[in-house]
Parts: sequence; structure tokens; C-alpha cells
Amino acid sequence: MKRNKVAALLISAIAILIFTVSAFAGTEDILNRWSKTRHFESDLGSELDITVTYYSSEYIEALVQNEAEKNLWTADEAENYKYELLKGLQLDEYVPVHIEFDNKGSAMHMAPFDRQIVIWIGNKKFTPVDYDKRFNFKLLGKRDGLVYFPRFDEKSGKSLLEKAKRVKVSLSGGISSTMDGIATVDFLWDVDNDDPEKLFKGKAAAQLEMDRLIKRIEKLSGEKSVLEAQLAEIQAELDKINLRIEELRKE
Amino acid sequence: MKKFLALVAVVALVAFAAPAFAANPFMDVPMNSWAYDAISQLSAVGVVSGYPDGTFKGNQPMTRYEMASIVARALAVVDMNKASKQDVEMLKKLVVEFKDELDALGVQVDELDSRVAVLEENLGGWKFWGEFRLDAKFGDEVDGAYGLGGDTDFTQSRYRIWMSKIIDDKVKFIGRMTGKDIGFSRYYLEVALPMDMTMWAGLWCYDWEGANGLYNDNDAWFGDQALQGFYFTKPFSMGDFSFYIAHNDGASVDEYFRYGLDVNFNVAENFRIGLGALMFDYDFTDDGGEVYNVNFGFNFTDDIAFKGVYYMEDIDTVAAGVDDGPSAWRAILDVSQNAFGFTSVWIEYANADDSFFLFDFNGCDTDGSGPFDNYGAVTTPGLGRGQQDKETDILFVKLNQKWNDNWSTFQRYVDSSADPVGGGDYDVQNLTFGVKYYYTPNLSFELVYDDVDYGDAWAGTLDDDSLIRLRTHVKF
Repeated sequence: MKRNKVAALLISAIAILIFTVSAFAGTEDILNRWSKTRHFESDLGSELDITVTYYSSEYIEALVQNEAEKNLWTADEAENYKYELLKGLQLDEYVPVHIEFDNKGSAMHMAPFDRQIVIWIGNKKFTPVDYDKRFNFKLLGKRDGLVYFPRFDEKSGKSLLEKAKRVKVSLSGGISSTMDGIATVDFLWDVDNDDPEKLFKGKAAAQLEMDRLIKRIEKLSGEKSVLEAQLAEIQAELDKINLRIEELRKE
Repeated sequence: MKKFLALVAVVALVAFAAPAFAANPFMDVPMNSWAYDAISQLSAVGVVSGYPDGTFKGNQPMTRYEMASIVARALAVVDMNKASKQDVEMLKKLVVEFKDELDALGVQVDELDSRVAVLEENLGGWKFWGEFRLDAKFGDEVDGAYGLGGDTDFTQSRYRIWMSKIIDDKVKFIGRMTGKDIGFSRYYLEVALPMDMTMWAGLWCYDWEGANGLYNDNDAWFGDQALQGFYFTKPFSMGDFSFYIAHNDGASVDEYFRYGLDVNFNVAENFRIGLGALMFDYDFTDDGGEVYNVNFGFNFTDDIAFKGVYYMEDIDTVAAGVDDGPSAWRAILDVSQNAFGFTSVWIEYANADDSFFLFDFNGCDTDGSGPFDNYGAVTTPGLGRGQQDKETDILFVKLNQKWNDNWSTFQRYVDSSADPVGGGDYDVQNLTFGVKYYYTPNLSFELVYDDVDYGDAWAGTLDDDSLIRLRTHVKF
């Protein structure tokens, strides 16, 4: 086959595909962008798919919109769904990442899982704060779960995502022999155009703030009770001492 | 590890055991039942406590419900440091016996999962896993293109038993046994070094083309090899950096050093570029050479990627008149099934100069086969097999259809065209159809029909043939 013919065929195919794809851009594409899959196949035929989803504000908005359209929800119902979603993901405290394994290869042994995964936010690397403990089990077949990374700098308390341009989730290749020879598997997203604060606007955000405030009231009330109990103890001791002094005076 | 595996089995039994005989939960367990002894023994070694006050009143009859309560509590407080394998086996038996009552007590498998998983974090024992395959091959020709003895082969030569052990916070051992003579094809330590570096020391495999998604069929062209030596890798936010130094120890004439270097930059979310260099240098002869490459990947969308590699070689010793600096390139269009809905598409076009040499930098587990020789027949005889006079063009197309979790089909086509200086039909066409069925995620069957046609100029060296192969593949 002539080389130039093949090259022309290849270029035409690419052009048609780009045209086709750009013509159908929609919420599905947004969802696909933030949910990336890597497929691995060994020489023996073992297969492994790893899908990692980063919960950008764009992704969550698209997900809510998609669900609302599918279920013919009212604006209120969509806001409730968003509220439940944000609450479940604990986005106000962490950077959650959803991971899905479809392992049709040898068993995967990933324990302890928090040693197998890191997130790069800008130039800094972070290990999980919490994760789905089922990832520590031997895995054959499918399993998915959430992994939580810190969202705020421990010292300054500032959001780590504030000035971040890129987020990269790296998994160790050692989690599966289907990836024999591969040191790490990366999933990365440019997040410079994503505004995480956007999520915390609207009714769902107001509800979340309400939750936070209620939690804070509970926490403060707890502290108040402890202090009141301490105060009561001190008062009781004072009363006891005063009583004894009175007794001594009478003697 | 065994203790843990057994405990996992306990959990699995709670979850999946078939409903047992629906016993009356308030019926006494007979005093001569083995369950009393089992609980007594577990209690004696402190693996479980009996009643909430920590005692076990083995001399009084208990109802099934009471006994199940003890088992449930045992699962909640079992002390893995004290439990032997026999203890956990006993616990497993108790769970099976009292499954209905445990269900009634609301023993949540998910909660157990989490707790047991936490225990596992601290166990760090040996882990074993593996796979094996049995190939039944039926060729059209006797001693034909597929390298069968006669026209039929049943081979089970590929089994792999993997093992690993976390030695401490920074060191992990990984090994793999394979082959009829039970040899180790991997054994190395993975060591976490300062500055985020990781070192592999021992016999390891690296696969740079695989990591960058630059092949999806039989093998990489370069950068996929099992070697003994030291391998270092360091990730950074924009990419990663790896290098190795290895030495082949054999008869003196076969002793050589190998060096490799690979750098990847993720310029943007959708664009990466990589640079690589592979070198080998014989200890006692002037032979050796270097292969440099530039590779890239550009994602139009997450489902459509365009990738490419350009290779440049510098061969140390060549015959007179042979180019010692040949080059090759590959261009790949990789479309996932998501884009079209019914099939994935891989279209690859490659060109290699006449003296372009593959050395033996390809294949962690294969030796000497070409990048597209998936079923045993040579499909690119003009490519990289020494200093030939045939410039080679290759078109490779692979389609894969995943119909559901169990069934998938695929088709592949290789057209290799070798253009010698003196002319002649050195073309090769290879066509494959396959269907794969997963009976369970652990067990699959694959039926393949493969046909290879060689141009007239190969007559006598390579002859047309076809193959039917049934592969049984077990993973555990």
C-alpha cells in the first residue's frame, strides 16, 4: 500500500472524527471529560479498566443537569439532588475522587490503598485523608469507591485549589500485574478554568451552610456544656470549701 | 496473611452463603454440639469473649440466638494477633452454622468489610495471585507459519504465580514464578527513596510504550523489557522521569550493559510529549547501539487520541554500505468504543528504514517476536531483523466490540509491505477474527481465527497458513 495514500486516509479520518465529535458536544462530553478511563491488557489477555472521576464544579453542574433532564425534575428537586450530592461528597472539606476498577485479570492486592494513590495539586503531592476501605480487599471483577484528599492547607487554612492550574491523580502500577512494567498511571485535568466556589452558591449551598452552622452550634453547645460542667464543679468545690470554713469558724 | 484470607472468607460466607436450614433461633444448641467446644477454644486463647462480661459459660445450654450473638461479637472484637489459622477456620464454621441468626441480628457485612480491611492494613503478610492459560491450536499446514509441532499444539506453558510482601514502610518485595521448570521471571525490591523517588532492584520489567498507550497488540517496538539491575523513577506534577542501568550476565561474549532514560511532560491535559533513549554496550566486543525516540499523544476528546513516535538509531557495527543511523516512525489513531458506541478503532501506520533494527528491546515475556506477531506467525518479516535491504511500511487496524460484561469480539488486519532495492512481492497480509467470552471475571474463553498470506517473494522462507486457537485463561 502506498504510504501517501495511507497518510491521506489517516488525516481524513481524523478530520471527520473531529468534526463529528465537535458537532455533538453536550453535557455527556463534559461528564466524559472529568471521568477518565485507562484500559490495560496484558500479553496473556488479562484486562483492566480504571476510571477516575474528578468532581469539578463543571462536572457537578453537568451531572445535576443531566439527572434533572432524565428525571424531569423541578428546579427545587434538582437543588435537593445537588445538596445531597455535595453533602455526600463532603466537597466543603475534601477533594473527593471516585475510582472504579473493572478487573478481568489476576487478583489485585492494593492494601493499604492510601499508599497506592496520590493527588498532585499544582506542584504539591498529597496522600488520602480517607478512602473506601473495600479497596484493601483482594479484587477480582468490579469495585468502585471514593477517595478523599485534603482540600485546605494545614497551616494557612487556604484552599489548595485556589491557584491550582492542574490536578493529577497517580496510581501505582504495582496494584495489578496486568500493568506489569508500568510504574504509575496518571489521570490529569486542567482546572484553571474551574471555579470550585461556584458550587457553593444557590439554594443547595445555602442548605449546606445551614448544615455547617448547625454543626457548629452543636459543637459550640458541646463545648459550652463542658465548660458549664467544669464551672459547676468549681462552684461545688468552692461551696464545699466555704462550708468547711464556716464549720471551722464555728468550732 | 493466611489468617486474613480466612477472615475474609468468613465475611464472604456471611454475605454469600446459601440460606441455611431455617432453625428455630430460640432452640437450645445441644450440649454435645461442636459449637460449644469451638467457642470454648476461641475464648480460652482470648480470641473472643463469651458473654458481654467477658466470660463464657460453657457448662450451660445456650440457644442458637445466644450462640450467634457470641459469634457476632467475636467478629466484632476478634483479636488477629492472637488468632491462629485454626481459630479463624473455626470462626468460619460458626458463621456458616449460625448464618440465619446472624442475619437476624443484623450483622452488616459492609461494616465487617471496613473493619477487616483496617486489620489488613496492619497485617502486611504475603500475598499471592496469578493466572494460567491453555491454548489449543489447530494449524492448516504441518510445521507451518505458526510454529506448531505438526499441525496441532496444546500448550499450557504460560502460568504465572505472583507474590509480594510489604517488608516495612519503605520496602516491598515482588516476585513472579513461571515456566515448567519453575523459575523466577521477576524478583525485585521496590524501595521508596527520598525526594519521591522509587527504586526497583533485582529482575524487573519496564514498559514505557505501554505506559504511554503506544501499542495495543502483541508488543512494544522498544522500551518493554525484563532486565536485572536498578530502575529509578521520579514523578513530578508535570510528568515523570525514569532511568535504569542493567547488566546481562552470560557467557563473556554475551555480557553487556543496558541503559535507559525516559522523560514525560504533560504539556496540557490533552497533550503529552516524551523523550527516550535506550543504549546497550557489549563488554567484550564493539557491538552495541542506541535508540532515541520522541513520542507524543494528543487527545481530541477523551475518546479520540492521536499518537506518534519517531525513532532514530545509531548502530555501532554495520556492514559496508549499510546505513548505521536508520530511523522509523509510527502514527496512531486510537478511538475508544465510547465515541462510536459499538466499536473501538485503532489505526496505526508505520515506516522503518531498511537497516532499522529492533535489537531485543521489546517484550518483557516474549523473545524475538515482532510487534504484531500475535499468534505465532511472522507478520512483519522485513522489520528490524538485522541489516536487511527492505524498507518496511506497515498498516495495522484493530477493531474491538465490547457487547456486554461477558462478550466481546475483535478483528485485526496487518498489512506489511517490504520494499527491497531489487524489487519483488514481499508483502504480508494478516487477518484475525476473535470472540471472547467471560464465564466469570476469573475465567475466559477466546476463539480466534488467524490467516497469514505471504507475497511470492517469501516463497520457501515463509508460506501461507491459517490457525484456529481456543484459549482458556484462568485468573486468581
